[in-house]
Amino acid sequence: MSKVNAEAKRPVARSEMSKLAWTWKEMKRNKVAYFMLAPFFLLFIIFTILPVILSMFLSLTDFNMLQMPNMVWFDNFTRLFLEDEIFLIACKNTLIFAAITGPVSYMLSLLIAWFINELPPKIRSVVTLIFYAPSISGQVYLIWKTLFSSDAYGWVNATMMKLGLISSPILWFEDADYVMPLCIVVALWTSLGTAFLSFIAGFQTIDRSLYEAAAVDGIKNRWQELWYITLPTMKPQLMFGAVLSITSSFGFGAIVTALCGFPSVDYAAHTIMHHLDDYGGSRYEVGYASAIAVVLFVIMFSCNIIIKKALAKVGT
Amino acid sequence: MKRPLFRKVICLVLSVTLLMGALGFTTSAAQYKPDDTSSSLDEMKSLVNAESYAAYIAENGKLLRPGMTRIPVDIMTFTGNAQKASESAARTSYDKDKSKWENFGDNWENTLYLPATGSVTWHFNIPDGADSLYYISIEYFSCVTDESSISTIERKFRIDDTVPFSEASYISLSKTWRYAAHSTETSEAPGVADSYDVSYETREDGYFKIVTLVKDGKRTVTTYRIEQDINGNSMAPQSEQVADWQSYYVQDTTGYYHGYFQFYLLNGSHTLTLAAQREPVMIKSITLVPADSEEDTLDSYENVKKEYEANGYAPATGGKITTIQAEFPDMVSDSSVNASNDNTSAATFPVASKAQLYNVIGETSYNTVGQWAAYKFSVDKTGLYKLAMRYKQDALQGMYICRTLKLAGGDYGLPDGTATVPFAEAYNCQFNYSKEWQSTVVADGDGNEFEFYFEEGVEYTLVLECSLGTLKELIQRVENSLNIVNDCYLKILQLTGSEPDEYRDYKFDEIMPDVLYNLLVQAKELVAVKEEFVKLCKTDGSHIATLKTVAVLLDTMGSDYGDNIARNLSTMKSYLGTLGTWVNSSKQSSMMVDSISVIPADSDDSVIPKANAGFFQSLWFEIQSFFYSFVVDYDNMGLTTVPDPDTPNINVWLATGRDQSQIWRTMIDAQGGFTESTGVAVTLKLVTAGTLLPSILSGKGPDVYMGLGSADVINYAIRDAVVGISGNDPLLSDEDNAVFNTTYYTYKGENGDYENTTEYRGEAGLTYVSNHYDEAVEGNYVKAAMDTVQLLGVTYGIPQEMGFSMMFYRMDILANLGAEVPETWDELLALLPVLQSNNMNIGINYTLALEFMIYQAGGNMWKYPDNPQYAGSKIDLDSDIAIASFERVCSWYTDYSFPVTYDAANRFRTGEMPIVVGDYSSLYNQLTVYATEIQGMWEFSSLPGTVREDGTYDYSSIANITASVMLHGCENTLAAWQYMQWQTSAEVEADYGNKMVALIGPSAKYNAANINAIKNLSWTASERAAIEDQITHMASIVNYPGSYIIGRYMKFAFLAVVNDSAVPADSMNGYIDAINAEITRKRSEFNLPTLKSDEEPPKTQDENN
Repeated sequence: MSKVNAEAKRPVARSEMSKLAWTWKEMKRNKVAYFMLAPFFLLFIIFTILPVILSMFLSLTDFNMLQMPNMVWFDNFTRLFLEDEIFLIACKNTLIFAAITGPVSYMLSLLIAWFINELPPKIRSVVTLIFYAPSISGQVYLIWKTLFSSDAYGWVNATMMKLGLISSPILWFEDADYVMPLCIVVALWTSLGTAFLSFIAGFQTIDRSLYEAAAVDGIKNRWQELWYITLPTMKPQLMFGAVLSITSSFGFGAIVTALCGFPSVDYAAHTIMHHLDDYGGSRYEVGYASAIAVVLFVIMFSCNIIIKKALAKVGT
Repeated sequence: MKRPLFRKVICLVLSVTLLMGALGFTTSAAQYKPDDTSSSLDEMKSLVNAESYAAYIAENGKLLRPGMTRIPVDIMTFTGNAQKASESAARTSYDKDKSKWENFGDNWENTLYLPATGSVTWHFNIPDGADSLYYISIEYFSCVTDESSISTIERKFRIDDTVPFSEASYISLSKTWRYAAHSTETSEAPGVADSYDVSYETREDGYFKIVTLVKDGKRTVTTYRIEQDINGNSMAPQSEQVADWQSYYVQDTTGYYHGYFQFYLLNGSHTLTLAAQREPVMIKSITLVPADSEEDTLDSYENVKKEYEANGYAPATGGKITTIQAEFPDMVSDSSVNASNDNTSAATFPVASKAQLYNVIGETSYNTVGQWAAYKFSVDKTGLYKLAMRYKQDALQGMYICRTLKLAGGDYGLPDGTATVPFAEAYNCQFNYSKEWQSTVVADGDGNEFEFYFEEGVEYTLVLECSLGTLKELIQRVENSLNIVNDCYLKILQLTGSEPDEYRDYKFDEIMPDVLYNLLVQAKELVAVKEEFVKLCKTDGSHIATLKTVAVLLDTMGSDYGDNIARNLSTMKSYLGTLGTWVNSSKQSSMMVDSISVIPADSDDSVIPKANAGFFQSLWFEIQSFFYSFVVDYDNMGLTTVPDPDTPNINVWLATGRDQSQIWRTMIDAQGGFTESTGVAVTLKLVTAGTLLPSILSGKGPDVYMGLGSADVINYAIRDAVVGISGNDPLLSDEDNAVFNTTYYTYKGENGDYENTTEYRGEAGLTYVSNHYDEAVEGNYVKAAMDTVQLLGVTYGIPQEMGFSMMFYRMDILANLGAEVPETWDELLALLPVLQSNNMNIGINYTLALEFMIYQAGGNMWKYPDNPQYAGSKIDLDSDIAIASFERVCSWYTDYSFPVTYDAANRFRTGEMPIVVGDYSSLYNQLTVYATEIQGMWEFSSLPGTVREDGTYDYSSIANITASVMLHGCENTLAAWQYMQWQTSAEVEADYGNKMVALIGPSAKYNAANINAIKNLSWTASERAAIEDQITHMASIVNYPGSYIIGRYMKFAFLAVVNDSAVPADSMNGYIDAINAEITRKRSEFNLPTLKSDEEPPKTQDENN
């Protein structure tokens, strides 16, 4: 064996190379892994990263979907924050939605998952289906439209008129007083989605021996068990669920449109998503809509960071 | 003493004024519209109160005098607007195109032409001692003139100016249709015996039927073809109208009565009136035929069979088995009775796993009572035969359906070739329910297989007509029950309202004992009917079980009325709907027929076609179909030739349904269609709505887009995506603009090349004229329609569809209440107390009302509408007129409690809303399909109007426009422009609308924007008059940048009034600034002049001078 060869075989130390070169070397070493990752990675870049970057760029223009955009720099943002009153209404509504539906649905998912977990397996699967059904069956929330139809023949109106509570039908989804509470109720009803399933899965994965060990170590009650054993063990699922609930509560819009029409009466349930649709869709102001999207993106992103921090405290 | 006198005088004056006022009011009903198109109260009453035929015949049926003679009516002596054929429009069309008149004969002098409008009355006399029951027969020729379309000929029928019975208030004379022949060859065949032979073939270029006819030593081979597109899918074959003389006997169209109607006529003179509803027709005789003559007396099958034995007829053992493919009828009653595709069985002929071949007839297009298809055949051996059919009847679980079988040829049928029913049981050929394909011998319900005597070489015609058969009495009984229960419902509703109080004692037994009685009787009746159904159908399917469910409810409501009527009223309402739907669906005898076989009477079942394919055959077929489904090219659906890359080509997109796109495809490719006229090939693509925007963005958009909403036309136009077609688009080059300002003549040269030239060279070879813009739109569109597609003096599209609201009303309910159809809103509101005291209401959509009321009051949505620069810069909703209109509409919903939300079709059907305002074509279509049980009970007319302060009367409706537009990036401007003109021209639009009706049925009425096309669409005369009346008063909300904001804020303002009792004027005024701000912002985006809130537009030159 020649000396040169021996030199080449010697493991390269991290300190001998620049960071970039090191990374490149590591990548070459693990090229099979990267190769396997590539299909997803490409799709992710093309369909997620690129649009985000593109929309950030577009938010600086006056793009209208049909003509070449001109740069207007931060005009869209100044208009959004200083001139657009409806954006403020939308922000307010979104925050109310997010503040109520996000945490409540998250807690609800967790609690129900916990209760269900205590049931015998066969009953458990049935009950799971019952709770999960509203969110898998697509547009089933339209049942609320029938329940709260503004027609005198709508179920709630008819019942209330029969009981003598009201004399003429209430225009539920067209009355600014009722729109928001109703939408929140519907949102909660449909919210037991993927997060809920992942919690149930999380509960199942917990090692039984941990509970036994804890019992030996002196856990006093089920609450302590939940807080010190169960929750910390299923942190990944908790994280996953939290991200999902937050994102969905901010992105809440389609259900409102389906129930109250677009826009909702007096913008009573107008969320940032609606505002975005309004400008991107009916007004052809994609540049401005992108600015709204960027703001929404920033809000969601920072919420996720806060949640991460909060979840780190679980079990401590 | 002075005082009382003074009082008396005052009282007198006041009462006179009041009286005058009242008189003035009652006479005013007819004042507003001199030529009123809506029905008068008397007309409505006469129609509604006519008795049924069953009652009529029960009363008069025994008055037949035997041995009467035929009484011809002298048709050439008449009053009304008929014309002698030789002096009518028919003669002109004859001179133009004789080919459609080959069977007319030389009848010009003694034939009468009845145009598509107006009415004709004849006088006739019944001699003494001849008072009896008569059939009425009419010999008619369904001519093709400029006035005619594809619809059935329809006339109002009156004897002595009254409706004799309700089923005879209208008569319809059917036209017959056949597939156009593909080729005909005649050759000499001396000495060959007469024969008629049919064979079928699938070839590369289509699916063929080949008919070989030998007659009088001549052989004629005629082929018929179902064409295929380049992927091998069958395309709807072209139907043509058969112009021939036909005899018609006034008969039932409901399916409840077999045979012809009998009329009881007293001695003396009578009149007979035919008032036109649809289509012109020519007639040469009207005859009163004694009701005991042979036309309608039928033997039973048993007797016919005895006759066979007596005559020594034997089964035609060894005779050839003829199989007729049902998808190739020789004649049909309706242009919508068409072949279709079914790929559910590999045993159907023809079938292909990679394409959809037309291989069956029926299902939805051939299921209405009275529709028929006729087939010709002959046999090669004299004797007795049976008929076998391969069919699938899976529409209504457990129910069988019936067909009436008629025959012509040989000893069958009338001397003039009209097919007749050979024996009474042939009315009831029964086809049982099964989820699978079936193949059975034609038989009645008891399983008696019918045998027929056919002679060798004779050409027979077999007619299969949809009928209710043995089910007719039962269905009629259910329909009667439905009507009675509906009356009960309305009576209860009038007492309790739609949400009765469960805890109140309404004293039903004292107030309406008859209603309770009827409920109980009808409950029993429905159970009885159900039992009979079960007996007949031998099963208890879910369809039949519906009756029981309804009966149980009626029974509880009738017996335990104190508790149950109030509690179950809303259930009753929905059950009434169910029962209505039940009757509709039971009357539709749907089945798919693959083939009909004529087999010798003694052959066994092994010779008839197999019902289903074997397991492995089916499996292989399914596997193939599955894999082919991945490779089928849906873009080229309907394309018959691969386009030549050298010919001019334009890309046209449309976002409607597949049926619509196929119709356009066939019209473009048809003989004399667009491609043949101009030499421009068209790539037609069916896209989903919303595809247009991204496609323009990526530069892959079409050249022409059909059916773009007017708001989007302006949205795209202002962003430079749509081409202005009025020749003054600033973005176009002068050269391109000139295309729209010049008249081009397209000539087809001898070598087949097309040349577009500006110079007129005579008619020879001229195939298409491309008008300049003004001529293309002149007189074809109402101004309101054009306004919506214009911006700053440039027109950006040609209107294609125009929707607008009209008023639909229930004649029966208004007649019962004794109410005229309201012509003004004041009349409507005056009617309201009567309606509301009966717990009925009026349905008007508030968003529509808010808009059209402004225009009816003489207002406008925009300020400065006549100033080209500043129109659209400010909203005019704060004007006095607009505010007053807004207040008025709000008061309807607050003070007069019009419902804000309601299901129009449903409440109209139950009668809770006898007056509904809705889009004329879509509500019409919906009611036609959905509420057949009230067919003939409703009409529509123009909107009620507003009487303005200056006394003028305005009943404007708002036009909703979709347009055909050309997009920037289009390379062949002239070709695209030619296409747009062709597509929106009156003839093509009318043709398209009629093809839609032909393909889908009467519920596919098309709302063409071209007002000259409306004339030729298949509306009845009174419907068309109403539509044309409304078209004289049309308004539209012109689209400007920022338009989208108006509707939104008007809605907010309105809802604030309704929900929170806000003051209407304040509520509306509160949004004016927001609306104007948005409009101003949007206008500055496009550098259009704007105005501040207190600013007026600068004076124009004209005003200064």
